[in-house]
Amino acid sequence: MRCGTGQDPGGDRNDNPGNEGAVLSALLEDSVEDLYENAPCGYLTTLLDGSIARINGTLLTWLGFTREELVGRRRFTDLLTIGGKLYHETHFAPLLQMQGEIGGVALELAAADGTRLPVLVSSVVKTGTDGQPLLIRTTVFDARDRRAYERELLRAREDADRDTARLRRLATTLQRTLLPSKLQSVPGLDIAAHYRIASHDMVGGDFYDVFPLSDGRWGFFLGDVCGKGSTAAALTSLARYTMRSAAIYDPDPVSVLGNLNTVMNQEYRSDDPRFCTVIFGVLMVEDASCLITFASGGHPPALLLRADGTAEYRFTPGGQLVGILPNAHFTATSVRLVPGDTMLLYTDGLTEGRPTNGRERYGEEALEAFAVDLAPASAQETVDAMSELLDTFGDGLDDDIALLAFSVSTSEPPS
Amino acid sequence: MTELTATVHTSAGGHLFELAGHLDFRNVSYLREVVEGVELGPGQQLIFDMSGLSFCDSTGLTVLVMARNRALAAHAGFALAAVSGRVARIFRVAGLDQVFSVYPSPEAAAEAWTRSAG
Repeated sequence: MRCGTGQDPGGDRNDNPGNEGAVLSALLEDSVEDLYENAPCGYLTTLLDGSIARINGTLLTWLGFTREELVGRRRFTDLLTIGGKLYHETHFAPLLQMQGEIGGVALELAAADGTRLPVLVSSVVKTGTDGQPLLIRTTVFDARDRRAYERELLRAREDADRDTARLRRLATTLQRTLLPSKLQSVPGLDIAAHYRIASHDMVGGDFYDVFPLSDGRWGFFLGDVCGKGSTAAALTSLARYTMRSAAIYDPDPVSVLGNLNTVMNQEYRSDDPRFCTVIFGVLMVEDASCLITFASGGHPPALLLRADGTAEYRFTPGGQLVGILPNAHFTATSVRLVPGDTMLLYTDGLTEGRPTNGRERYGEEALEAFAVDLAPASAQETVDAMSELLDTFGDGLDDDIALLAFSVSTSEPPS
Repeated sequence: MTELTATVHTSAGGHLFELAGHLDFRNVSYLREVVEGVELGPGQQLIFDMSGLSFCDSTGLTVLVMARNRALAAHAGFALAAVSGRVARIFRVAGLDQVFSVYPSPEAAAEAWTRSAG
């Protein structure tokens, strides 16, 4: 940065340097008294009892007093507001006495017209050659700009808080559009779902839906897009609509996932690979049982809770992540649910969560053991139990969690 | 919270990344930068020594897939070595066990690559 007044005392300009120095020195000597009187800050000298011995013009102007009104007549504390007086007595004066100096203390002065002047005050005790304190020198800085700055900061903070709240509302709204507002009801089937948001600031990438196909069959899916935020939301939307459209033409789960893989590969850029894991299936209720055929694209295995009290995973070996491999492989499997059986789909936030914020992740074994304890349980009972389990994880959830469960209704709906 | 460390050993044959800790969404961009920072030529090999890696989440998988894609594009080899049981299961669920070549050790991975090239 260049600073200068046009004069350059330390420079190497040789045209009459002697004269220049004299002018500068005269300027400086002249200014000592002037500097004191009209300095850009207030100066104040008080005796040890606090009475004002000397005060500069700047401070008098700020306060609106004349020199005669203050010098020898008033104490420094008389210039303070009530709160300032208290603070001076309890903090400022004791610290000054103890340390011999005190700096940057925010106080308020009361001006002659009653207005308040926010200031920053620094004081130092001047001692004699014997070390005995003689008087107190004080500088006073106008802090109105600083107060204004602090108010500005506060307002910016309030604005930011409002923006955060708005962002959260937006994220929540967007999240809702990615999930069905209400699950469709399938005759003869109990369906329960649960969505748990890990962060209110970011849209998560979990999704699920149940929708009718022709000929009495129903399509369903539950998946997880890698990542969070707006990119994940866009990809979630793409995945949902692609699967629903693809299922209209050919609901075969392997074929639907193949379509989704093709579409997502077209979106995918090699420098920022994005994929999803998903289970897509087709179900049909017949003769008080439900036949479910589904395929998995790299998704955690479905969990079966049987009416006989057993529970097990249903794997779809070899199903690959959707969207990053040109010819991803998917295999389908079938399950028949009888009354009392439940199939649970979930996203990996469940098994990767850390119970009670510990270091260990929950894991697939623990989930299976939990399911064994729980079985038999209806779709709603299963989802409720999982939701209670997640409550115990507290802050140990990094990722959103989606749950979707099906069970065959045990009682006929009232007619 | 367990962090991730990635140590790179570079030789004429390529680069060996030693991973240790947890690979997840918190540190995935760090590993991506490390992987993008190395030069890779035809015939060379990218090996990830996973022996110190105890966990890998779904975002962590992306960086491994990205590294693999990068190696294939450069006509280089890509291999994983010493994958722990837990991480192997994550690969299996994601169907990536069929995509990655996995060897018991970095030496075995390098040997297999040299053999296939020779």
